[in-house]
Amino acid sequence: MCPAFGAIRNLLRMEDSMPIVISSGDGCLYGHTFVAHFYVANRPIYSPGVSSEIWAKGSAFDELRSMVHEMAEKHQPSIIPICSLCVSDTVGLPFDLLPKQIGNTEIIYVPLPAYSVHTHARAKDIVVDSLVWRLPPQRKERSGVNLIGEIFPSDPIHIDEVLRRIGTHVNTHVPGPRWEDYVAMVDGSLNAPVHPFYSDSVRRMKQKQGLPFVEGAPVGIDGTYSWIVAIGEALGLDKARVEAVAREERERVKVAMADYPLSGLTFMVAGYEGHEFLLVRLLIEAGASVPFLSTAVSANPLARIEAAWLEEHGCRVLYGANFDEEISALGDRPYDCVIGTTPLCAHAKELGIPSIYYTNAIATRSMMLAEGAADVLALVTQTVQAKRRYERVAKFFAEDEGPLKRTYTSWAPTIDLTAQLIANDRV
Amino acid sequence: MAQIRGNIQQKELPSDVVNTPIRRRVADLDHAGGDTGAMQAFASLRDANVVLDGPVGCHVMPAVAVVNYTDSIPYLQNVTCSDLSETEVTLTGTLPALKEKVARASADGRQVFIVSTPVSELIGAAWTTEFEDVPGSALFFDSHSLDDDEWKSRDRALLFLWEHRDHFVAPAGAASAPARTRPSVNIVGPTYGNFNSYSDLAEIKRLVAGIGADVNLVYPFEAHAYETKQLADAGATIVMYKEYGSSLAREVGLPAFDAPIGLEPTTEFLRGLGRALGLQAEAEAFIRLEKRTTLAAWQDIWRSTHSDFFANAPVAVVAPPTYKDGLSYYLGEELGLPVSFSAYRTGPESAPNEDVRATLRDLSPSPMLVFGSINERMIIAQEQLPSRFLQCSFPGAVVRRATGTPFVGYAGAVWLLQCVCETLFDVLFANLPTSATPTKASVATREMLAEAPQIVAAQGKGKNSVVSWTDEAKSLSAVTLKRVPFFVRVSVSKKLRAEAEHLAAERGTDVTEDVVREVTARYAPRR
Repeated sequence: MCPAFGAIRNLLRMEDSMPIVISSGDGCLYGHTFVAHFYVANRPIYSPGVSSEIWAKGSAFDELRSMVHEMAEKHQPSIIPICSLCVSDTVGLPFDLLPKQIGNTEIIYVPLPAYSVHTHARAKDIVVDSLVWRLPPQRKERSGVNLIGEIFPSDPIHIDEVLRRIGTHVNTHVPGPRWEDYVAMVDGSLNAPVHPFYSDSVRRMKQKQGLPFVEGAPVGIDGTYSWIVAIGEALGLDKARVEAVAREERERVKVAMADYPLSGLTFMVAGYEGHEFLLVRLLIEAGASVPFLSTAVSANPLARIEAAWLEEHGCRVLYGANFDEEISALGDRPYDCVIGTTPLCAHAKELGIPSIYYTNAIATRSMMLAEGAADVLALVTQTVQAKRRYERVAKFFAEDEGPLKRTYTSWAPTIDLTAQLIANDRV
Repeated sequence: MAQIRGNIQQKELPSDVVNTPIRRRVADLDHAGGDTGAMQAFASLRDANVVLDGPVGCHVMPAVAVVNYTDSIPYLQNVTCSDLSETEVTLTGTLPALKEKVARASADGRQVFIVSTPVSELIGAAWTTEFEDVPGSALFFDSHSLDDDEWKSRDRALLFLWEHRDHFVAPAGAASAPARTRPSVNIVGPTYGNFNSYSDLAEIKRLVAGIGADVNLVYPFEAHAYETKQLADAGATIVMYKEYGSSLAREVGLPAFDAPIGLEPTTEFLRGLGRALGLQAEAEAFIRLEKRTTLAAWQDIWRSTHSDFFANAPVAVVAPPTYKDGLSYYLGEELGLPVSFSAYRTGPESAPNEDVRATLRDLSPSPMLVFGSINERMIIAQEQLPSRFLQCSFPGAVVRRATGTPFVGYAGAVWLLQCVCETLFDVLFANLPTSATPTKASVATREMLAEAPQIVAAQGKGKNSVVSWTDEAKSLSAVTLKRVPFFVRVSVSKKLRAEAEHLAAERGTDVTEDVVREVTARYAPRR
């Protein structure tokens, strides 16, 4: 998917936001609209029309300005994010000339030229950063933790329950469904980007608002423990109490994970969402071998701790990977399960390897604390157990000819599927 | 009604006339742009590699994300992009990145097509002088991505292929064109991203085989680029969809036929094709055989009580021209369902989405069936219309890979008839009273009927007094009932009256507009 969609998705999910998407052309807008209506929301997506003439004249901006006024006056949403994609951002529309506010509606420019955004993860960081930039200064009286990252709806509740035991709480959670979720960030005393790619947002809040942040997430055995301890340290909470709770939670995660042993199994994980790191951590702690993590995300300061942990546990992190390389790597060793992008999973399934699409299956699940660990590992275990079914189908389609030929063509990855199946002893 | 087009007129050419107007404002865009259309046409060829000259989004949106939900293909394996980043956009231009990708895409001897995107068109690409025009070399296609819609772009791309037919090189060992003993036809279209095309193509092939003809080429969907010149070897060309392919068919110069929707158009199509190919007797024999086989189902359904509902089941159709015209004709003229509204989804006469919304919202009665895209589906949900939705167009995620759901040909007539009947049965079921697990509303109705007299008495209006209706309430009630499907209107009317009077009695008032509105709201479809 287009990297910019990572941002548009989150903005469309906000109940009181009315995003305007300034597309590069109809091909671009059609793609975003199509997937938004499938994945995100049953709601209209508004854009000023664009054409070569409109770009040449610069008239898209006039239309945009009148749209902003009409929408703000008629519907009074809390925010109107202006999502500027490749062409409008290259042409350089005078977004500064838009009003910052109309009535109570904030008009917020969100720069999303896909050619420099590159990944969904970066686009999500840009959204939080753009919205947070509009906030008033941090309050004098602050308390609680701002959770940053798209997590399962029950996660903040479980995390809040844990934080209360160490003497703090969840102040707010973004990306959230309402503008007030963002506004509430000024009341928090600590940012916790639980997905390791909100680096611009938290760095800027640290500079502008003086708000510190804590890396990592309460995921897995080690992760849960270190995260709780880190929060405690950052907020200067009672050390003994924090240590006790951190140990308790670590134990709970350990117990929950014990039901899903993955030792002896080899996984390939590839993603573009940015929280692949956390999934791999869970898999490794459950006993699986994950030789490498392929992520579309580029190296990010916030991912340091996760990456270091993974390297220590025998997993190489490949940043900025593309799916041609991932698909070629399918032949490197016999995998028991693949969790990755649509193309990668398609090829893995052809080889008889149980596979699931990261975005649809994993990104919608909880991973945090004991409940999350159990939830994700249950799904993974269920997938691995379906191995025979995948193999049966792969064998049926591979048995008649040599390399499998599709009615559509293939050029990027060249895998001799039958040879693979034989090599891996699957036929 | 579909036309038999012996000679395609210049004015009918999509390249010249079909384009969806660029609108000042867009809500829920319903068609893709030129880059997507061209990519879908070129990528359909079996020996093509397509390089989109643009950033990663211009590639993965159409060729991975969307195609997975239009064609149920995980991703198009023969499409890639020049993967532009800041460096290319601000400094070097797209050429260095493009050259590298083209070299890679050409490595396995495939025909490479470079397609421009909005970004490359904006910053200008100097490719033309760079890629030598030697046979088999990469070809550049200016997709007019900012101005042309996907249909016009497909049409231009197919014409472009024909114009370059001598450029394409057959690989060593490629099978030469088969020597045919029977007359043959070209089938132009489909390409990727075309609603329902897998079934439509299967049905057209069945009809062609039925009259004893061979398929020369299914172009571009089942053809190689190097076979393009073989298009001239057939006796006729069938253009699957009006939206694209006519320009190619015209240049090839053979008698051309539109794929037919409906019984009579299909019969005419078979006779016309038979005449063009010298297979009149075979065509007549096939039509006779079809009446006893494929169409026996049609005749049986037609003779059943099912068709009695049709005259009271208004429909709306919003689709690209082929399906909009075809469905409106077949459902309206041949089956006799009143077509209360139809609109072109794309093309010069297309209706903006907001107009479609306003019309569907205000139609009284609401159409019982709405054929459309995800946009109409959303309108039905958002405006809380009682209409049933049937998909007949993109956008909207769908799986249509089983080949038994054609809209064209005799099999298409049967399939559509079956869809209409089943949906009407579904409407009927949804409006039947239910007793196994009483809903809140039906309990209320029953209890109310039992208690009504006492309640009226208790309100002090006297045992025999009747709850009266204000004029506004009466007219609102009439308007409300008009939106309800006709054959369940009686039971709904009873229910509305009983509950409104119950509520009014409870409050000791007449039945006012507010009361009617409150009762109606109980039955409003949930989003």
